[in-house]
Amino acid sequence: MEMQEELRIIQKEAAGELEKISDKPGLEEIRLRILGKKGQLTQMLRSMGKLPPEERPKAGQMINAVRQKLTEQMDELEVKLRRREQERALEREVIDITEPRAHTLYGSKHPLSLVEDKLISIFTSMGFDVVEGPEVELDLFNFELLNIPKNHPARDAQDTFYIEDNIVLRTQTSGVQAHTMLERKPPIRIICPGRVYRADEVDATHSPVFHQMEGLVIDKDVTMADLKGTLDIFAKSLFGEDVTTRFRPSFFPFTEPSAEVDLTCMACHGKGCRVCKGTGWIEVLGAGMVNPKVLEMCGIDSSVYGGFAFGLGIERIAMLHYGITDMRLLYEGDVRFLSQFRED
Amino acid sequence: MKVPMQWIKSYTAIPMDADAFQDAMIMHGTGVEGVEDQTKNVRNVVVGKILTVIPHANSDHMVICQVDVGEQEPVQIVTGAPNVHEGDEVPVALVGAELPGGIKIKKGKLRGVDSYGMCCSGPELGVPEYLYPSVGDKGLLVFHEDYTPGTDVCSILGIDDQIIDFEILANRPDCLSVWGVAREAAVTVGTSFEKPDITFKTVPGKMSDYVRIEVKDTDLCPRYVGRIVRNVKIGPSPMWLRKALFGAGVRSINNIVDITNYVMLETGHPMHAFDLDKVKNGHIIVRRAFSNETITTLDGKERALSPDMLMIADETSATGIAGVMGGEESEITEGTHTVLFEAAAFDRANIRITTRALGLRTEASGRFERGVCAATCREAADRACQLVDLLDAGEIIDDVFDCYPNPRPQVRIEASVERINRKIGMDISGEEMKDILTRLEMQVELNGDVLTVVPPVYREDVENEADLSEEVLRIHGYEYIGSTLLRGETAPGSRNANMRVTDRVGRFLASKGFYEIRNFSFISPKSIEKLNLDQEDPRCRLMTLRNPLGEDTSVMRTTLIPSMLGTVSLNQNRNNDRAMLYEIAPVFDEFNRKTGELPQEISTLSIGAYGEGVDFFLVRDVVQDLLNSFGIETMIIRGKENYLHPGRTAFLTANGERIAVIGELHPDVAKSFEITKRTVVAEINLRMVCALEKEVSHVKPLPKFPAVTRDLALVMAEKTMVGTVLEVIRSTGKPILSDVQVFDIYRGAPMMPGTKSVAFSLQFRNPDRTLSDEDVNPVMQTIMEACKNSCNAVLRL
Repeated sequence: MEMQEELRIIQKEAAGELEKISDKPGLEEIRLRILGKKGQLTQMLRSMGKLPPEERPKAGQMINAVRQKLTEQMDELEVKLRRREQERALEREVIDITEPRAHTLYGSKHPLSLVEDKLISIFTSMGFDVVEGPEVELDLFNFELLNIPKNHPARDAQDTFYIEDNIVLRTQTSGVQAHTMLERKPPIRIICPGRVYRADEVDATHSPVFHQMEGLVIDKDVTMADLKGTLDIFAKSLFGEDVTTRFRPSFFPFTEPSAEVDLTCMACHGKGCRVCKGTGWIEVLGAGMVNPKVLEMCGIDSSVYGGFAFGLGIERIAMLHYGITDMRLLYEGDVRFLSQFRED
Repeated sequence: MKVPMQWIKSYTAIPMDADAFQDAMIMHGTGVEGVEDQTKNVRNVVVGKILTVIPHANSDHMVICQVDVGEQEPVQIVTGAPNVHEGDEVPVALVGAELPGGIKIKKGKLRGVDSYGMCCSGPELGVPEYLYPSVGDKGLLVFHEDYTPGTDVCSILGIDDQIIDFEILANRPDCLSVWGVAREAAVTVGTSFEKPDITFKTVPGKMSDYVRIEVKDTDLCPRYVGRIVRNVKIGPSPMWLRKALFGAGVRSINNIVDITNYVMLETGHPMHAFDLDKVKNGHIIVRRAFSNETITTLDGKERALSPDMLMIADETSATGIAGVMGGEESEITEGTHTVLFEAAAFDRANIRITTRALGLRTEASGRFERGVCAATCREAADRACQLVDLLDAGEIIDDVFDCYPNPRPQVRIEASVERINRKIGMDISGEEMKDILTRLEMQVELNGDVLTVVPPVYREDVENEADLSEEVLRIHGYEYIGSTLLRGETAPGSRNANMRVTDRVGRFLASKGFYEIRNFSFISPKSIEKLNLDQEDPRCRLMTLRNPLGEDTSVMRTTLIPSMLGTVSLNQNRNNDRAMLYEIAPVFDEFNRKTGELPQEISTLSIGAYGEGVDFFLVRDVVQDLLNSFGIETMIIRGKENYLHPGRTAFLTANGERIAVIGELHPDVAKSFEITKRTVVAEINLRMVCALEKEVSHVKPLPKFPAVTRDLALVMAEKTMVGTVLEVIRSTGKPILSDVQVFDIYRGAPMMPGTKSVAFSLQFRNPDRTLSDEDVNPVMQTIMEACKNSCNAVLRL
């Protein structure tokens, strides 16, 4: 059995060689040498013609069995080699994941916008629409329709910038109340954030341009307790569950009764501290039941409808929320300040 | 408004300390700014009797005193005061004493001699000469009377009170008075307000024997009350009066002037005292000013008057501005014999107009502007007379001048208990409401649900049911207001269109690394000039404030660029290496505004960026992507803005209208804004974004057949814009060209100088079948020809 011996040797030699192979070209070389068109096994198959016919089938079987075995071995090795190669390639591509790269990840809205956004989401979730009004405003809307006639001392509290006799830079977002009442029919639930202007010199707590948000609800059977309930939700959503509101009597020409609204000091949770000057309360907004005179001037029947209004200073809330002690930081636009804010 | 606690207590019992009182007042409607405790300023200062005075061996002006301060042994005090006399009693600050200004007295050694305290002058104790007359700052305060040594000085000097600083709401001018707050205090703390009986001795006489008063313009002077005091004895006021005035922050002058001030503080009525002997012909006329009339006011200024101002005049000229400032010639002096007290009411708005026009505001005008009750003028005049009697400062004539032709009609309010409860969300009984209102000195009738209320004359602010509901609520207590949720039909709320756009723009830019800034809406006209705009540019037409804080903030912005450049400049000056900023705000269109009308407010976005990685293209892409995110397709064209680099300026247009400008800052403009780093700015019209915004409504089906891709490298002159070539390719490639991108731009050898090679990748697709070379080749040919013909861009070989 010369052929059988020959096959055994081929198989053995191949196994020895395959063991030493470390790359694909090496493998291909062997594959070609043994299994290729001119390979050893191919040659043997071809030379089978020399065998007596009765031996041929058996010889063929034997050769093919070896061929198949070797093919399997080589394929297996190929897979192994390929995997090893990839592993090495991946290893070569290891990077220092802590290496810094110069690029800006994200910017941010202004803290006043972030606060406005929070307020807007709190109030829109309670069914308030967000509306806007003009910043350059008629005296009529800024004052007269809000029950602040010409030459009324209530105008003193708001040092007004004038463009013309009857045109002012709005001193309060309250003018939007009047616009809304004249344009929409009750029920009305709106908030209006926006810029307002007062002739105050710039310092750590004053600015001639600042931001307010006005709220207005007009419906049948709206009570002052509804006002308090609404503001309680606002206070808790913004500052936390332990924050409550305190109403104090006050006066605004466009509301009656009126209230100054304090919130539990968020710095000390009401115990009394420097931020709240020891009182445990922080004055945050003004509110009240819409004065029937205002309703009538704005074309709403005060015997059927009533409602409440409130107004708050966005800066004040932003300063409390972020612990900003100098208002000027909000307007000078230093990126070192601005880059500390994140949307949440 | 400062009110001494003892003054209030003389009318209303306050059974609590000042802090508790303050809290109660605040919670029931009278604001308090603070409480000043005078005794906390001066502590441990006692009466000391100077026993012996010997010269100081080492000083030519100091002396060594032994002072009896009521202790077993006298104390030794070294002082340099010029008026040290044995036997005098002076205030002595003992060791451990505290003086105004936080000064603490310690044991000391003056030129080798121990000193155990300090003898004090009036100013050192915060006691002015008019409060306790002595020698002022020229030496030690010397007591007028003998006191037991060791007695605390505060009560002797009239500085032993607590001063409450009330913050009176604008609708409560009646509370700008001691009586007003004492009344509120009584209702608040549950005691009663005891107004003094106003009675006094008079002598018979006739007004007309002394003065003739004519009120010509009763519309501006609804009431004028005059009373005469004769045989006036001008002199100092007694201590209690000086002390009351001092506590309220008013200087004592003499008894008559002090009485007018005291009555003003107590009743809220500004009073005026005339020296009648100096009123020409004894004739006072209350009239409007004549045109072209002038007056020299007490402050020595000559002021031009106008006929809408009310004057107090004599037969020849105006002597005072009614309700604002009196005249010099009829002032009270040492030699005054006969006095006319005036207690009048003037039209609020008119006083306000007058003070504004003259730029002249006084304590009196401030009160008249806020409202002085005409109904109580007589009472104030009588109170002044009572004090004259009490101080024995003269004889009061029994006749009175009182011109009050149109008394304010009584106000009668009908209110519903149920409606009030419904408004305030409470359940207060009619009886309790009646009780509260009655305590507020209102006449109240309760019939079932109906309250019929007549407010007291001084409560001119109470006009209707809403006002009553506030009165009931604040006395009952704001702390009892419940907390309920709104009821009724609602839809979810939402932002208006502009605010939705603003929000999206902000979030988009933040995600691209930009920080939002907020600037003032008014700027300096100079910062517009710095942009070098053409004179006829609409942005040069500025809306100007009449009363700006300063030139820097005097005009409304017509563009956001100057503010942005200011912020960029600030960041560069502070050595911030890089900044990418945006602002969203309206600009104000003065150009198209007519007088008396409001301007268009156009919501605008500005962008400013500098630093590493920032160039024109970065900002351009951000702006284009931003607009694309709103579904707005833009065309880019070369633009011209005087403040931008002439070669690096682009306009973006949408539907043929300019929506944005983007460019690098012109070096001249950079310089005038002190900007040193190359800066790219952009301005985008958000109103247009709002109008052009397109929502995604239908998706296109995905392609079923593969695309064919061809590359094309074209050589063109440097000045040929790639965008133009892209446009040519797009338009000639229709309809099968589905996309074209630039993937490389090459300059340098072997290209000719002044040319560039631009490589385009073109994608062709037919939705209905696979394209063959026969389909694509002719289109490529057409494209190449078009590029050559219209852009002189030729195939790179």
